[in-house]
Amino acid sequence: MRRIGRALTVGLVLLSPVALAAEVEFSQSVDRTEVGDQDTFRLTIVASAGGADDIRPGLNDDFEVLSRSTSTQMSFSMGSGSPGMRRTTRYTLVLRANKTGKLTLPPAELRVNGKVYKTQPIELTVKPGRLGGSAPSQAQRPSRFPGFPGFPGFPDDEEGGGFPFPDMDIPRNDSDLFLQAALDKEEVFVGEQATFSVYLMSRVDLTSVDQLTLPKLDGVWTEELDSPTQLAGEQRIIDGVLYRAYLLKRRALFPMKPGTLDIGRVEADVTTGFLFAGHRIHRKSRPLTLHVKALPEGAPPGFAPSNVGRWTLSVESEETTVKLGEPATVRVTLEGAGNLRNITLPRLTGPEPLKIYDPTPSDKIGTSRGRVEGRRTTEYLVMPQQTGTFTLPTLSFPYFDPKRGEYDIAQSEPITLTVEPGSGAVAADDGSHPKNVLSGGGLRPLRDRSDVERAGKPWWRTVPFWVVTALPAATWLALALVGLMRKRLAEESPEEAQRKKTRAARARLSEAHKLKDSQDGAAFYGEVEKGLLAYFEGNFGRPLRGLRRDALMDVFVQQGISADRRARIARVLDACEVGRFAPGSSTAGRDQILQDAVDAMEESR
Amino acid sequence: MIALLVMSLLGQSYYSPEEARGVFQQAAMAYAQGDLDAAATGFQKLIDHGSGSAEVLYNRGTVALAQGQLGQAVLFLERARRADPSSEDIEANLAVARSRQLDQVVGQGGGTFLQRLVEGSSATALGWTFAALWTAGFLALIARRLMRHRPALLGWVALGCFAFALVPGAAFAAHVFVRETYREAVVLDASVPAQEVPSVGARAAFEIHAGLKVRVLAENGAFWRIRLPNGLEGWVPASGLGGI
Repeated sequence: MRRIGRALTVGLVLLSPVALAAEVEFSQSVDRTEVGDQDTFRLTIVASAGGADDIRPGLNDDFEVLSRSTSTQMSFSMGSGSPGMRRTTRYTLVLRANKTGKLTLPPAELRVNGKVYKTQPIELTVKPGRLGGSAPSQAQRPSRFPGFPGFPGFPDDEEGGGFPFPDMDIPRNDSDLFLQAALDKEEVFVGEQATFSVYLMSRVDLTSVDQLTLPKLDGVWTEELDSPTQLAGEQRIIDGVLYRAYLLKRRALFPMKPGTLDIGRVEADVTTGFLFAGHRIHRKSRPLTLHVKALPEGAPPGFAPSNVGRWTLSVESEETTVKLGEPATVRVTLEGAGNLRNITLPRLTGPEPLKIYDPTPSDKIGTSRGRVEGRRTTEYLVMPQQTGTFTLPTLSFPYFDPKRGEYDIAQSEPITLTVEPGSGAVAADDGSHPKNVLSGGGLRPLRDRSDVERAGKPWWRTVPFWVVTALPAATWLALALVGLMRKRLAEESPEEAQRKKTRAARARLSEAHKLKDSQDGAAFYGEVEKGLLAYFEGNFGRPLRGLRRDALMDVFVQQGISADRRARIARVLDACEVGRFAPGSSTAGRDQILQDAVDAMEESR
Repeated sequence: MIALLVMSLLGQSYYSPEEARGVFQQAAMAYAQGDLDAAATGFQKLIDHGSGSAEVLYNRGTVALAQGQLGQAVLFLERARRADPSSEDIEANLAVARSRQLDQVVGQGGGTFLQRLVEGSSATALGWTFAALWTAGFLALIARRLMRHRPALLGWVALGCFAFALVPGAAFAAHVFVRETYREAVVLDASVPAQEVPSVGARAAFEIHAGLKVRVLAENGAFWRIRLPNGLEGWVPASGLGGI
């Protein structure tokens, strides 16, 4: 209880002779007796006589004074004696130890009417670091309703824009005026926003900030959130010390690659004081580090690394029913928080009869509680080319939600657009343009029926093809074969031909025999000549009639006919020639001629 | 084991005509209602059960095209074209599929002369022209033989028919030759590396993508040697291709 409670050391000046004589109360106390060397603590000196100028705090180099304040309280008392006024002065200092160990706060002094009053010294234990305690460790705005911090509607830890004021430490040097750069997060995903703020914390009067130099940030997409042109401070209590906080710059950072991002120092030249009394001071902030995590595996198809944030996608059409030739305006809107400028919206698609022109993009980007958010809209002009009912399909926008640490897909609802015939637009109604453009292309429709037969062989492998192809040729070949056979069957052998010729020759000689006694000698000799020549034609296989005598004899020579026989044949032929051209000849020699002819034929066998 | 055998036999069994028509209509209805997956499943069932007519193949390819499966679309549409070379719908959807292909074969000569001839002509038209002239020639010869005086005019008619039948006959024979001897395939995977040698991990000489039609020259294990229309050759994993 003693350790954590407020230790109070009271100089009981009333017990001292001096105090008793003057009835002066003078004491000092601290809010904690055990602090860290990073902590601040409060020393309060209370005097019932004199003023603030009469109080001398007993400080040494072991302590740094961060702030001082005084207050005076008047009270009226009705005692047993005469009534009187009582004035109490409270002197408050915010201190910080400069070293660790057992330290002693020396006694404070009060000089009133030439008398000196002293308090008791205070023992303090100072440890390294920050121990915390009752002194405010966070930057707070002085409460407008003391005793009711965080009252609804009056946030004490936020700026006017709703952005939480960052935690900060008072630097050991330059505690009156220091530059503070802060990040709202120490670790983000690639593409996730981290907010970078630069504050000037001051307990002195400022004239201007002449130059502000920000560190160069590679691999980071930045978006300006706040850049005040005039110094407008607000009161903040840092570790119990009242400051005026001036926001100099606020930016949204969107890291583009994973790793450790080192943010260098911010530098500023500040002019303090008024007019000619002011002087320029250079201040630097501490460097910062931001850890950037890579996006997890398992990104959905179509995901782009810049699609980080929380998004909703919508597609809206001003008209759901339009006349042919009239355009419909369709808006694709992506809304949410994230790096909107680096995001590409999915492109609107539609069926062939809807001609979709190139979109017109527009952005509306704002901030809320220091976060970049807004909407990006692409406006399409959709010109129907046919009447009918058409559907603009669902659009998808895959993104990574860093808050939940997982991927998600924003989807729009499909839109049905009905195109009715009508007068249409002026361009379509002037008669020079077709109203219902039935353009080709696209997929041909499915077949609605099939014989669902089994998949067969190619048709040239089928029997019917070969039957059809081979049938005429086979028929012709069959006919040719039949003809050939008939011809072969109709042909006679040489022996048979000779026999036929011989039979024909004999028939002629038989006829001649019948005519040997007739008066028609020409007929007789004609038959004998024809019969003889026909006989030899059959034997030789060549025609003999019509040949001259010498040619005829040459044939007989060639055929190996003996000279006697040739002579006999020549005699018969001579007789026949004479007989045919001398009709008056007697019939006496006809038997001999006939016999010679028979002999010539018989001899040849 | 027996159950597996029975299942296998059942799986390969053919649909009755009524069953096949029912599956066909259901698949076509699913397509009309926008259920592309169900439509593709239905038509694929018909093909798997041996009912792969030109219409079924065309529908299967068209559904695949609507699904964005370019390789499957070209494969089934090419098969449909083989079954029905004269269909304008098949040619139109094949043209749509080709327009979506990633590969552009530069400097292509259209393949060999025979391939160009086959690509530029219709086997059906050539076959019927040849058959008509061939039959007419022989009918003239038959008539001449049957006539007593055998007029010479019929002989000249027959000779003319045979002379005119030579060109379509040769072209038709080219069709049959190409069809019977040339193996063609379509790239099914989105991207297939073509290697210089048929071994896993070999260096890829070039890359081909879904929908490209290639000629298969040889096989070596899990690799096929393919030739592009411009003569470019390479070994590709057979699993990435579908034979037409």
